[in-house]
Amino acid sequence: MPLIEARGLTKKFRQAVKEPGLAGSLKHFFTRQYKDKVAVDHIDLSVEAGESVAYLGPNGAGKSTTIKMLTGILVPTSGSLIVDGLVPHEKRQQNARKMGVVFGQRTQLWWDIPVIESFNLARDMYEIPAARYKANLAEFTELLGLAEFMNIPAGKVSLGQRMRADLCMALLHEPKLLYLDEPTIGLDIAVKDSIRKFIHRLVEERGTTVMLTTHDLGDIEDICNRIVIIDSGKIIHDGGLAALKDNYARDRVIHFQLARPPASMDPICAGLPACDLHANGLSLSVRFDRFEFAAGEIAAAVMPHVEVIDFRIDEPEVEDLIRRVYLGQLSLAAPEPTADTPESAVAAEV
Amino acid sequence: MRGLNKYFSIAKASLEVIFVYRAGFAFNMIGTVFYVVAMFYLWQTIFLGKPGALGGFTWPEMKAYLIVAFILNSTMTWFDEWQMGADIREGRVATDLARPIDFQLKRFAEATGPVPFELVSALGIGAVVAVVFGGIALPADPVHLALFIVSAALATLLKFAIIYCVSMVAFWTTGMEGVSNGRMAVQNIFSGALIPLVFFPDWLRGFASVLPFQGMISTPALTYLGAMDGPTTAFMIGTQAVWVVGLMLFGRLLWRSAIKAVTINGG
Amino acid sequence: MAARLRRARWLVYIYFRCLGQQMKAILAYEADFVILMISAGLVQITGLLFIWTVFLRIPDINGWTFWQVVMMYSLIFITEGVGSLFFEGTWRVSRLVYNGNFDQMLLRPVSPIVQVLAADVGFNGLGNIVTGGVLMLIALGNVQVQWTPGRLLMLVILIISAATIRVAINLATSASAFWIRTPWSMVPMFVHQLGEFAKYPITIYSMAVQAVVVVAIPFAFVSFFPTAYLFNIESWSAIGLLTPLVAVYCMFMAVWIFQVGLRRYESTGH
Repeated sequence: MPLIEARGLTKKFRQAVKEPGLAGSLKHFFTRQYKDKVAVDHIDLSVEAGESVAYLGPNGAGKSTTIKMLTGILVPTSGSLIVDGLVPHEKRQQNARKMGVVFGQRTQLWWDIPVIESFNLARDMYEIPAARYKANLAEFTELLGLAEFMNIPAGKVSLGQRMRADLCMALLHEPKLLYLDEPTIGLDIAVKDSIRKFIHRLVEERGTTVMLTTHDLGDIEDICNRIVIIDSGKIIHDGGLAALKDNYARDRVIHFQLARPPASMDPICAGLPACDLHANGLSLSVRFDRFEFAAGEIAAAVMPHVEVIDFRIDEPEVEDLIRRVYLGQLSLAAPEPTADTPESAVAAEV
Repeated sequence: MRGLNKYFSIAKASLEVIFVYRAGFAFNMIGTVFYVVAMFYLWQTIFLGKPGALGGFTWPEMKAYLIVAFILNSTMTWFDEWQMGADIREGRVATDLARPIDFQLKRFAEATGPVPFELVSALGIGAVVAVVFGGIALPADPVHLALFIVSAALATLLKFAIIYCVSMVAFWTTGMEGVSNGRMAVQNIFSGALIPLVFFPDWLRGFASVLPFQGMISTPALTYLGAMDGPTTAFMIGTQAVWVVGLMLFGRLLWRSAIKAVTINGG
Repeated sequence: MAARLRRARWLVYIYFRCLGQQMKAILAYEADFVILMISAGLVQITGLLFIWTVFLRIPDINGWTFWQVVMMYSLIFITEGVGSLFFEGTWRVSRLVYNGNFDQMLLRPVSPIVQVLAADVGFNGLGNIVTGGVLMLIALGNVQVQWTPGRLLMLVILIISAATIRVAINLATSASAFWIRTPWSMVPMFVHQLGEFAKYPITIYSMAVQAVVVVAIPFAFVSFFPTAYLFNIESWSAIGLLTPLVAVYCMFMAVWIFQVGLRRYESTGH
């Protein structure tokens, strides 16, 4: 029985069509014209307990609209939606007990009171038993490093601190579901990292189901095992992250740092036929299909011909892939290429 | 004269802001009318019960007084002490100091911009109320009408000058809501907005006469009605002018000392 | 039924928890709430000064004497003070909805109405309650009333009812934010100013105005009818007994209107 079950979920907004200026306003007063905007178009979505799902899409694709319906603050136009046995918008407060929410741009903390008081208010609002509250608070305080700003009002702490406090607040009542909307936006690397680790641990240890919308693929890699991509209100991909990478993000790049510019590229190219080579002064990059070659093979092919001081390996660029999906350059609905025809992966590009 | 151009554009910008918010503005103004209408009903009941004049006012004259008070109160409403507090808090004062712009003139331009709009709206609403209640007394004669216009202009300037001075308190406090409300309360009594000053007992009347507030409502309204004789009218209008000049200068003084205090202490 | 009562008590507890935190926060950095209280007092005093000056020249307004009108004023001050001190949150709704910060409240397992009511504290309310209270005591001291325990109880009930009506009006009009988006409380302010009519005996108004303040937006039950009952004035006194019923009715209406507004908000998106 899935925790979240959406069937044919749809949300249409009626927008008034109004011409600009006073004339437009008058005309609209007499002959109202509306345009329907379909933000979410008959999507089917099933999420089992314990999954961590990344919910991606370009801006305006329908991500936040879906999340708003899932959290019960927006009423769907049609379709069915059941979250843990409840229809969210019908039983909004009950639904609220089972979920935690961290919206990156806005905070659930009270602005003017010390962070700890926000937590205490949450304890009262969610009716968390005292012992559990204390235990959770202690654990999260330690894991997220909240002690240093516990007594400062939320309005006065840094963004990173606020996000960590928001995360704690969202989890104090041990929700089954955690909705994260841009949770690491605007944060520095160290804080992003600790937040991702924290959430990952949460999923592992407590089996919390996580639904994450983000533009930061580092978030996805660390936390999620499933990616759902929505565009123009429709789901265009729903599957595992590993499968996505295996199928479409096959390129790795090794950057070699050389002692001297190579005398000639020919012998190197000869040894690496299906690869993309790039030489620029003291650096040499080799782009290869990771299913075709191992990194060691590439290195073995390059090193006899040049003196290598150092090298680094770039992993598959999911970011690039997703961006191309957003831009419509890459259709994920294309037939999946097999491992020994790397050319077909290229062919799927439009 | 070229230097004044920038102030005109500031005034114009201010007017445009009001125009954008015209729905809200209209709502606000109609809201203030409830007060006037309540007053009309109250005085109507009083005058109906008492034949003749009250405090030297006939009923049509009283109505005229109330409408004039309403119109004068409606001008320059967009300007109040809040703005100054916000400007200071958000650092706009600091940036303004670096500019070749006179702070008082700038605020004056901002305050005056919306006045035409406010005036037209208030006149319209005032006319409706006047008609509904059976008309008001007209100006005593063309001379008094002209004097009234002068007096009304001075009253508006006076309003600015007073608010400007009071708003200097913003340099020393955090919230301006209380200060603004307090100023309005005091202004309401002593300007004659609540009730013509003639109704006050002598001691209060005397107190009001040494304050600048009476120039905001009482003087222009009484000029309109021709309620004062020639010399008194001239004297009262002259008093208005003196207060305007004095408070404008005082405001500049306050500004300078506030800036000095702030720049010495930093922030 | 027992569960509902328990829930209601819990909601009241949550309300006071939130309100208490707001109070602490505001007291912490609103250093000049003393100015706020003093200026509130000043505003009330000027209103009093006006009516006192008027009564210097006339013996009564439609049969209502000075102290009776002062009693009306005191009810207005007290109820306004209660609204500001305990229920100022209604004035925040417009801005919250406008800035998209209202969703916060919907994501919590607590009634949004309770959260709204607890969302802000206006300390000028304290000044209003004090001046109103003092005024009421003075007025009561100057009017001949047969005080029975029943009458005293009724006084308390009337004050509570009047305050409830005020808060209900604020709550209902705050729901306008769900239909009209503005950064400031346009409709609530507009309706609030109708309260001007509550200062004087409604008999001075035309039928149309009376209909508005008695039936549509019952400001007349905040000051006029309660005073009429307490001082046994004319035939209105019996209607004064209806005040608690009007209060209950207003509260139900306000909650209903707010919920309708909420449903609209949740359907049309934000």
